[in-house]
Amino acid sequence: ALPICQARPKRLGTMRFRFCGDLDCPDWVLAEISTLAKISSVKLKLICAQVLKDLLGEGIDYEKILKLTADARFESGDVKATVAVLSFILSSAAKHNVDSESLSSELQQLGLPKEHAAGLCRSYEDKQSPLQDRLRDCSLRLMRLDSVSWRVDYTLSSSLLAQVNEPLIHLKLNLRERNGAVPQPVALTVSAEKFRILLTELKQAQEMMNSLN
Amino acid sequence: TLFRSHAVTDRWFQAVLPVQRAADMLLVLSDDQRQHLAFLSRVEPSVVGEFGRIAVEFLRRGSNPKIYEGAARKLNVSSETIQHGVEGLAYLLTESSKLMISEVDFQDSVLVLGFSEELYKLLLQLYLDNRKEIRRILNELSPELPHYHNMEWRLDVQLASRSLRQQIEPTVTLKLHLQENGEPCTEVLQTDPATLLHLIQQLEQAVGEMKTNHCRRIVRNIK
Repeated sequence: ALPICQARPKRLGTMRFRFCGDLDCPDWVLAEISTLAKISSVKLKLICAQVLKDLLGEGIDYEKILKLTADARFESGDVKATVAVLSFILSSAAKHNVDSESLSSELQQLGLPKEHAAGLCRSYEDKQSPLQDRLRDCSLRLMRLDSVSWRVDYTLSSSLLAQVNEPLIHLKLNLRERNGAVPQPVALTVSAEKFRILLTELKQAQEMMNSLN
Repeated sequence: TLFRSHAVTDRWFQAVLPVQRAADMLLVLSDDQRQHLAFLSRVEPSVVGEFGRIAVEFLRRGSNPKIYEGAARKLNVSSETIQHGVEGLAYLLTESSKLMISEVDFQDSVLVLGFSEELYKLLLQLYLDNRKEIRRILNELSPELPHYHNMEWRLDVQLASRSLRQQIEPTVTLKLHLQENGEPCTEVLQTDPATLLHLIQQLEQAVGEMKTNHCRRIVRNIK
C-alpha cells in the first residue's frame, strides 16, 4: 500500500502532511493551491521545470513564467505566489524525502486537480535526486577548507644560532566561509616534530571517518 | 511589529500620558536659520512649494548639489543661498514633525519670521502634508539593535575527538543571520539538545506572554 498522509481529525486544517514534515500545511500554501489550479496542467509542468532550475541554482527565466501565466491573466502578485508555492512544495518534499506518489496524493488532498498533481510530481521525480544533493550542499557549514599548499624549507642558520640545520614546513590553508565567498588564506609554519604529531592525529581521524563511510 | 508604528505609539502616549502633553511647544529658530528662511519670502509662492519638495527629497536621500545649482541659476542667486534655504526649511519641517506640534504652535513658531499670510499658509500645509512621511524617516534613524533575518541549523553527532574516542554527543549548530543598520551580520551558536529544548520552552513562554491579561490590556488601549 502506498504511504498516505496520516489524517487526524477530518478537517483539512489539522491534517498532517509528509511533505510539510508531518505538520499542518501552512495556510498560505493551502490558499495558493487554487491559484495553481487556474493554469493548465501542461503549463504548470513547464513552470515547475523553471522553479526547479532556480532551486538547483541554475537561475530562473521569469520572462518564460510570465508568458506561461499570461493566459490565466495573472496579476504580478499571482505570478510571485505561484513561484513561491511551487518552490515551497518542491523543496519541502525533497527536504523530507517524500516520494512522488505520496506527494501527488497529498497535493490532491489539498485540492489540486489530478492532472496538475501528476504533472508537478513527474517534474519533481525527475529532479528529486539532484535537488536533494543541492540541498545537502547548501546545508550549514562553518569555515570550509578549500585547498592546502605546502613547502618544505631547510633552515641553515639564524641570528640566534649559527648552525640550525633543521627542516621547516610552510603550510597555507585556504578557507572559505561559504560557497562563492572569497577564500581566506591562513599561513603557518610547522617544525618537523610538530608536523609528525599533526600528521599522526589527522591520520587517526581519517581512519575513523573511513570506518563510518 | 506593534511598537514600530508611530501612529500607534503616538495614540498610546496620548491615552496614557495626557497630563504631560506640552501646552506651548514652540520651535526656537537661531538667527542663522531665520536668515536662511527669510529667503523664502523673496520668491514666488510656487517656488516655495518647489523648495518644500526639494527639502523633503533632501530628507529622503541627502543633498543634491546639482539641484541647488539649477535652482540658483533660475532664481539668479548663489547656490549657497539655495542650499541654506533648503536646509532651513528641512530643519523647520523635521523639528515640527519630530515634536508633532499643533497647527497653532507651528504658526506661532514661524510668526517670528515675519512672513505674509499666504506664505504662512503654504508652510503650514507643507508641514501637515509631509509630517507623516518625515516621522517615518526619523523613525528609521533611531539606533537599532541587530534584528533577526534568517536562521540555518544543523544537527551533528560528535563521535570522537583528539582527547576522547567512542563518544556520542549530539550537537545543534545554529547560524543566525541578522541585520544591523542595513548591514548583514552573522552569529554562530552551538548547543546540546537539552539546552535547545529549554530555549524552545522559554521562547514559547515569551510568545505566550501576549495572551496574558496584562499584555491584553495594553494592546486593547493602544488599538
